[in-house]
Amino acid sequence: MIIYYFLAGAVALLLTAFARSHRVMNSVSVVHAASVFGLTAYSAIAGGLPAFYTEERYFFIDNLASFEVMLSSIVFFLAAVYSSGYVESLVKVKELDRKYVKAFYTAFNALLSATVLAFFSNNMALLWIFVELTTLFSAFLIAILNSRENIDAALKYILLTSTAMLFSFAGLILMFMLSQGSLGEGSLNWDVLVAGASSFPAQLAALSFAFMFIGFAAKSGIVPFHLWLPDAYSRSPSAVSAILSAAVSNIGIYGILRAYAIAGQTGAAGLISGMMMAFGVLSVAVAVFSMLRQDSLKRLISFSSIENGGFALAGTAIGTPVAVFWVLFYIAAQSLCKALMFFSAGILHMQYESTRAHKMINALALQPAASWGLVIGAAALAGMPPFAMFLPKLFVLSELASASGALLLVMAGLLLIGASALALFLVRTMTRTAGESVVSVAVPAGMKLPLFMLTIMIVLAGLFVPEAVSDFLMNAAAAIARGE
Amino acid sequence: MFEDATKILFVAILLTAAIVLTKRDILGIISAYSLQSFLISAVAAVMYAADGTGTLLFVSALTLCIKALLVPAIMKGIQKQIKIKRDVEFAYLSPVSALGASMILLLAGYGLLSGLIGNDRALAFGTVAGISLMFMGMLVVFTRKQAITGIVGYLTMENGVVLMSLFLTELPLLIEVLILVDLIGIMLLAAILSFGINSSIEEFHQKLVRPFGGKTVAPEEGSA
Repeated sequence: MIIYYFLAGAVALLLTAFARSHRVMNSVSVVHAASVFGLTAYSAIAGGLPAFYTEERYFFIDNLASFEVMLSSIVFFLAAVYSSGYVESLVKVKELDRKYVKAFYTAFNALLSATVLAFFSNNMALLWIFVELTTLFSAFLIAILNSRENIDAALKYILLTSTAMLFSFAGLILMFMLSQGSLGEGSLNWDVLVAGASSFPAQLAALSFAFMFIGFAAKSGIVPFHLWLPDAYSRSPSAVSAILSAAVSNIGIYGILRAYAIAGQTGAAGLISGMMMAFGVLSVAVAVFSMLRQDSLKRLISFSSIENGGFALAGTAIGTPVAVFWVLFYIAAQSLCKALMFFSAGILHMQYESTRAHKMINALALQPAASWGLVIGAAALAGMPPFAMFLPKLFVLSELASASGALLLVMAGLLLIGASALALFLVRTMTRTAGESVVSVAVPAGMKLPLFMLTIMIVLAGLFVPEAVSDFLMNAAAAIARGE
Repeated sequence: MFEDATKILFVAILLTAAIVLTKRDILGIISAYSLQSFLISAVAAVMYAADGTGTLLFVSALTLCIKALLVPAIMKGIQKQIKIKRDVEFAYLSPVSALGASMILLLAGYGLLSGLIGNDRALAFGTVAGISLMFMGMLVVFTRKQAITGIVGYLTMENGVVLMSLFLTELPLLIEVLILVDLIGIMLLAAILSFGINSSIEEFHQKLVRPFGGKTVAPEEGSA
């Protein structure tokens, strides 16, 4: 099965290389993302997971990887649909040179392939390599716009995340040592490490986890490794911001989940959970207070991403199957919400040539689809019913309550501040009207379609979760959780 | 004898990292990195002489060709293009404090790891030296102002990882090669980006998209 993902990526890159028109390149990207989703959905429905590939079992497809890939492919698919009109608009306002459209789609497809292969890597060193490749292609996509600030943002991103990822590799080497010492033969295959983790010495396992955590935390924007994130997300083209925040940053949390599944079985489980909880709460705190003073919409969403990452981390630290189940649900819901927010921000940027609150006048009248996208996305991110984030937030908080009442109070208070920051920004933006007649910028249908699709998904996921989906997610959670 | 030679090489490697951390002349910093990579290649060669594992000889040759010769040559080319000869500003820590911090990290690493790793002295020394090199590289990334010096810091960190992995000869060779290829990609993009900061956007994009041909494509029909 893995070979088909390699083939899909190779064919997409080849067709993009030979394509002469933007339409063809865009269509290739749409089909590439759709084929990844189709392949993964097929393997999930066909059953028989986990399935291992290559003689050394370097790759595998299990429920968790399958879930992450399906989620990412949806985001990439919608971003590709959105890009059909968005890239042209960037060219029109000279933010992107037409000569670089091919480079944009090449990096887009390469990023999709690297993301998918990262999730499907059973070998932790391969996971590390593909995570590094996602950094490489993401930095390329950040730097492609005609602005010096983009180069700065890309350089900051690549240096900070790659530097942190080297610590992860040191953690992997320690993990290899552990497996050599405890199992007799060294391995970096996740299934082998999980199976033998209970015999690993606690102190070295904790050190190994701490090193791995630094890299993956940087990738997902966990405080204090987040310094690259606000610049990178806010400077990127909106389609790229959506991919980075809703798909690529999930790889960081995914890496932490995989590492936690190993180290959580050792005698260091309590220490590791405490560390994750501390970083999770710190991330949420730093993010929500930063959100309060943002004037730029994209920076506001960026800090909200840090808040989401922190909350997911804190939820994982609880470690019970129920908590991990709702964390996975939360990851899916926040990905959809952030994609909706960034796509809406892209349209508003087209209208006002800025995403600063004070520049958005008559937004609801001039760009109703994007404005409502923003309102719905923000309401969902705040955890309001009936949207998709309501249930996971509620249940993670209730799991937190059973762990510590004080933590529940702190976390609930911080989430309230985050929700207030979103609401304040929306009130400032959406109520700003003026008598002057500003002309509405025509937005291609391809840019509005993902907003409608995401809104439907966010509402449906909040109202109804099919039993097959919850069973699938429960199995994914069971592979990570420490058990009751 | 082999253990003594390895220890001397470890000390020399850490000295090159100290030079990278404190030197202001960019060509000198790149040369120190080149020497550091050469010394790591020598460590691999000495280890090969001691136990005859073929992988170590291959890693030694690869490190020599790519990290001691090719990467420094590329970095020197970039330095010529950006026309910046010296990196004189330091952020957060002065060179002396950075060296002091490195010493503390080295001692803390030794104290922490020597107890955890157990009886294998070579493995413990390699791990301590590797992690110390990583921390020194990290200090370069965060204390030096010029992006190109930051990249050398990153490459120094990566040398630390290589030093650690040398003592785990079971780590599949394929993985080591893939990591090397990946790191070259990261280094090249970072170098191009650092070039971009000091050149026009047009010149920068020419470099960035050169692998893709950079040809004009037909517009989307009927879009905005």
